[in-house]
Amino acid sequence: MLEIKNLHVKLADEEKVILDGLTLSVPKGEVHAIMGPNGSGKSTLAYVLAGRPGYEVTDGDILWNGESVLEMAPDERAAAGIFLAFQYPMEIPGVAGLTFLRTAVNAVAKKRGTKELTTPEFMKLVKAKGAELNIDVEMLKRPVNVGFSGGEKKRSEILQMALLAPSLCVLDETDSGLDIDALKVVSDGVNALRSKDRAMLVITHYQRLLNHIVPDRVHVLAHGHIQKSGGKELALELEKSGYAEYKSKAA
Amino acid sequence: MSMTPATPTQLKTKAEAAYAEQFESALAGLPGAADARRAAFGRFTAQGLPHRRLEEWKYTDLRAAVKEALPPAPAAKAVVAANEVTAALGPLAVIDGPRLVFIDGHFSAEHSVASAIAGLSIATLANAAGASAPAGDVPATVALNHAFASDGAVVEVMAGAKPTGSLVIVFLSTAVRPATITTRNIIIVGADAAASVVEIHAQIGTASTHTNTSTKLQIGDRAVVDHAKVIIGASGAIHLANWDVSIGIDALYRPAQLTPSCGLARHDVNVTLNGRNGKLDFSGIALGRGSDHIDTTMVIHHVAPGCESRELFKTILDGNARAVFQGKVIVDKDAQKTDGKQMAKALMLSPNAEFDSKPELEIYADDVACGHGSTCAEIDPDLIFYCRSRGIPEAQARALLLESFVGDAIDMIDRPDIRRAFTEIAQAWLTHKSA
Ligand SMILES: Nc1ncnc2c1ncn2[C@@H]1O[C@H](COP(=O)(O)OP(=O)(O)O)[C@@H](O)[C@H]1O
Ligand SMILES: [Mg+2]
Repeated sequence: MLEIKNLHVKLADEEKVILDGLTLSVPKGEVHAIMGPNGSGKSTLAYVLAGRPGYEVTDGDILWNGESVLEMAPDERAAAGIFLAFQYPMEIPGVAGLTFLRTAVNAVAKKRGTKELTTPEFMKLVKAKGAELNIDVEMLKRPVNVGFSGGEKKRSEILQMALLAPSLCVLDETDSGLDIDALKVVSDGVNALRSKDRAMLVITHYQRLLNHIVPDRVHVLAHGHIQKSGGKELALELEKSGYAEYKSKAA
Repeated sequence: MSMTPATPTQLKTKAEAAYAEQFESALAGLPGAADARRAAFGRFTAQGLPHRRLEEWKYTDLRAAVKEALPPAPAAKAVVAANEVTAALGPLAVIDGPRLVFIDGHFSAEHSVASAIAGLSIATLANAAGASAPAGDVPATVALNHAFASDGAVVEVMAGAKPTGSLVIVFLSTAVRPATITTRNIIIVGADAAASVVEIHAQIGTASTHTNTSTKLQIGDRAVVDHAKVIIGASGAIHLANWDVSIGIDALYRPAQLTPSCGLARHDVNVTLNGRNGKLDFSGIALGRGSDHIDTTMVIHHVAPGCESRELFKTILDGNARAVFQGKVIVDKDAQKTDGKQMAKALMLSPNAEFDSKPELEIYADDVACGHGSTCAEIDPDLIFYCRSRGIPEAQARALLLESFVGDAIDMIDRPDIRRAFTEIAQAWLTHKSA
C-alpha cells in the first residue's frame, strides 16, 4: 500500500511551494487516478515519489509497504518496486535501448536478490513482453527514445515498466501526445499489468484516458493538495464542469 | 650618447642547449647520413622549442613544459619478458597481425612477429636504405625528431596487396631513468591496397619519458587504410607525435586515436587530400584527469576536388585536466565540391577542467560544403535520474552515459578487434573514474 501523508514539497533552490499537505492512499490491487489543472503539481508528486533531485520534502512522509521512501535513492526505490512512466521520457543518445534495459533489469535483479539474466534469457523476456503488450521490440535496437514519436516513447515506457515488474506504477500523463490507436495500445498495456499485487497511480489532465483505464478511485489535485475524492464518476463530472471550480478557489 | 637597444640575442633555454650537446654525442651512434641529421638539427636550432606566442602552440607551451632535455634512451639492458610486453599492451595484445616491437626506441627482433607476408615489405629505419632525415622545412618538433630518431618502422604495402590482420607497431618504454625516445615511421601503401596499421605507445618502465614520434604515411590511389593510435599506461610524460599523411585518388583513410591520461600529449595530424574523391574519416578520443594536457592539432588540406573529410573528436575531462582541439581545414582554389565536416564534443566532470576548441576554415574554392561544431557540457543530471529511476545505480549510470559519449567515436572504427580494444581501454579509464 502507498500512503502519502500530509506531504509538503518545495523546490530545492527556490522558495516556491508546490505541494502543501497532500494526503492519499492507494492499496495494492487498486488503480487510482489523479486529475488536476495544469501546474497543480501532478508531475511534482510523481517525481517526488520517484526521488528526483531538485525537490525538497519539508513535511509529511511517503510510505511504501509501510516503509518511508524519503531517504531512499531513486535506484533503491526502483528496486523496491516503484516505477514512474515519465510525462516526457528522456532521450539517451548512444545507448541502445536493449543495453539500457538489460542494465536496468539486472541492476534491479541484483538488488532484489533475484537471478541476473544472460543475454539470451533477457532477449527471450523482451520478446515475450513485447508480444504480450503488442509492442514491437525492434525500437529497442535504437538509442533510448532518440528520434521516437510521442507514441513510441510512451510505448517504450510501458515496455520498460513491464520488464522491471514494479509493484507501484506511477503513470504521468501517459495519454499526452497520443493518437487514439497509440492510446489504445498504451492503455491495453497498462490494463494487462493490473493485478492484485500492484498499486497504480494514473495521472492525467483529461478524462479520456480513464475510459480505457477505468480507475477504482479519482482524486482532484489543486492548490497543492487533494480537493476531492470519489469514484470513477468523478472523472465524468470533471469532464463536464472543467476545473473552473478548483481554479477559482485560488482567487 | 644615445641609447641603442641591444640586438635581441636568441636566448636558448636550458633544454635547448642540452639538446645541442646531446645531439653531438649521439650523432655517431645514429643510423643514416650524418649530414642530413645535422641539417635537421639546424632546422630545430633555428626555431627552438615552440611556445605559446606561436598560433599553433597557443594552448601548449612546449618551451615551458620541457624544463629539461632528457637524454636519448639507451638500448634496453635488462631482458624484457614476452609476458611483460603482453601485459603492457593490455586489451591491445589480442589484435591480430604481424607485430613490430621497438623497445626504448630500438627494434627488438625477439619480440617482433613478422614472418614474410605476401605484399608486405617490412624494414626498420636503422637499416633501411634511403631512410635518412629528409630535407625541407619542417616544424621544430619534427626537425628534432628527424635529428634524433633512433629507429622506427619502414613499411611498404605493395600495390593491390590486402594483407589480413593489422600491422601492429609497438613502442615500449622500459626506462628506469628519465629519457627521451625518438622514433620515425615511414609507411607507403600502394594503389588498390588495403591495410590496417595500429601504433601503440606503452610503458613498463617507471621513469618519466619524453617521446617524440613521427609517421609519414602515403596512401596510393583507391587504397583503404585504417590507422589506429593508442597511448597506454603512460604517466607524467611528454608525448609529441606528428603524422604527415597524403591521400590519393578515390582512397579512403580512417585514422582513430585514443589518448587516455598520459601527462602531456600533443598530436599533430596533417592530412593532405591530393587525389580526386579521396576520403578522410578521423575519430579521436581524449580522456584526461589530474593535470593531463592533451592537445590535438589537425590540418586538413583539400588540394584535389570532390574530397570528403570528417573529424569527430570526443573529450572527457576531470580534475584539472585540459584538452585542446584545433582543427584547421584548408580548401584550395581547385578543390571544388569539397565536403568537410568537423565536430568536437567535450564532457566536463570537474569545474576545474578546461577544453579549448578552435576550428578554422580557410576556403579558396567557391563550391564547397564545410562546417564545424563544438560543444562542452556536463553530464546531464536529468539523464542520470532517468537511469536511476530504472534501477541503475548512480556510478553505473554515469559510466553508461560516459561510455555512450565516446561510443560513437569508437563505432567509426571498422575492425572489430580494434574497436573492442578501444572500448576496453576507454572503459578501464572510465571505471577508475566512477569507482
Ligand atoms: N523543477 C522546477 N523548476 C521550476 N518550477 C517548477 C519545477 N517543477 C515544478 N515547477 C512548478 O511547479 C508547479 C507544478 O508543476 P507540475 O508539477 O509540473 O504540474 P502539473 O504536472 O500538474 O502540470 C508549476 O507552477 C511549475 O511551473
Ligand atoms: Mg505534468
